[in-house]
Amino acid sequence: MWDEAPGVAAQAQAIKERAAALAQADARAWEEALAALRDAADGAGGDAGRDFELEQKLERAAAAPLEIAALGADAAALAALAGERGDGTYRADAAAAAALAAGGARAAAHLVQVNLGVRAGDARLARARASEQAADEAAAHLLEPAR
Amino acid sequence: MTTPSTLSDEELVQRCRAGDPDAWGELVERYSRYVYAICVKGFRLSEEDAEDVFQDVFARVFTRLDTLRDAAALRPWIAQLTRRRCLDAISGGGKEQSTAEIATAEATDMEEIDEAFAVREAVATLSDACRDILDRFFAQDQSYRTISEELGLPSGTIASRIARCLRKLRDELEGRNEAPEGSRRER
Repeated sequence: MWDEAPGVAAQAQAIKERAAALAQADARAWEEALAALRDAADGAGGDAGRDFELEQKLERAAAAPLEIAALGADAAALAALAGERGDGTYRADAAAAAALAAGGARAAAHLVQVNLGVRAGDARLARARASEQAADEAAAHLLEPAR
Repeated sequence: MTTPSTLSDEELVQRCRAGDPDAWGELVERYSRYVYAICVKGFRLSEEDAEDVFQDVFARVFTRLDTLRDAAALRPWIAQLTRRRCLDAISGGGKEQSTAEIATAEATDMEEIDEAFAVREAVATLSDACRDILDRFFAQDQSYRTISEELGLPSGTIASRIARCLRKLRDELEGRNEAPEGSRRER
């Protein structure tokens, strides 16, 4: 057996547990942001306190996807490592895992952009996009020979 | 003097018996979390009760260390002292917990506590670089990218470095290290 395999599996397990917790946090934060958006839509304009609260909730709603994008990059990197150095029998499974992770990172980066309503220059969005790109590159590296 | 954290329990006991104050500090540092975990996780004591037991256990360790026959059996001895004091605290406090409930909860949790403690001891034997990278990934939840940026390491090597450190940790836990730690430092 590839001697790094147990260590890679342990990291994959840690990433999985973090992702599950973040998915729940993301859902909660988005529910709160959505409720704040509805309140804002129902009320008259010009309430500075309410606008600030809404902004804070949208920021929180972007924080979880930002971390999920980073986890996607990590999962893709781990899959790339397993695909390159692990048992060749499972290379296609590793490539599939990397592609799924890259998809997750891309979706998460998109949510960061939408939730923050920001342009390309925003540092958080840049970080999310960098995670997306890293995940894409890791997946592409594994998928290439099969194309 | 040798770095205290590298001492075995047996050596630590010998130094304590010889009156080395640094060794006493190391003993308390090494076992404080263990004792506290037994109190809080094993016996569900309140923070206040746990604090009382904690003080009492280390006072007893200090005054009775000479009665410990096998210096290498420091941990089970401390565990036994702690369990007894926890039971005293429960019975003295009029808590409504049956002996069976306590025994069941304790048996399960003690296994986890012992396992966690063994991991902590094994981690302490790893190189600084390994301890750091494992702490960043597993305890601080840092991403590979953050680790790479903060440590100045190529990002593509982080997962592999962590895997190698975990292998060393496993070898240490299984007691089958072929080369002494430090002869091949992870960086």
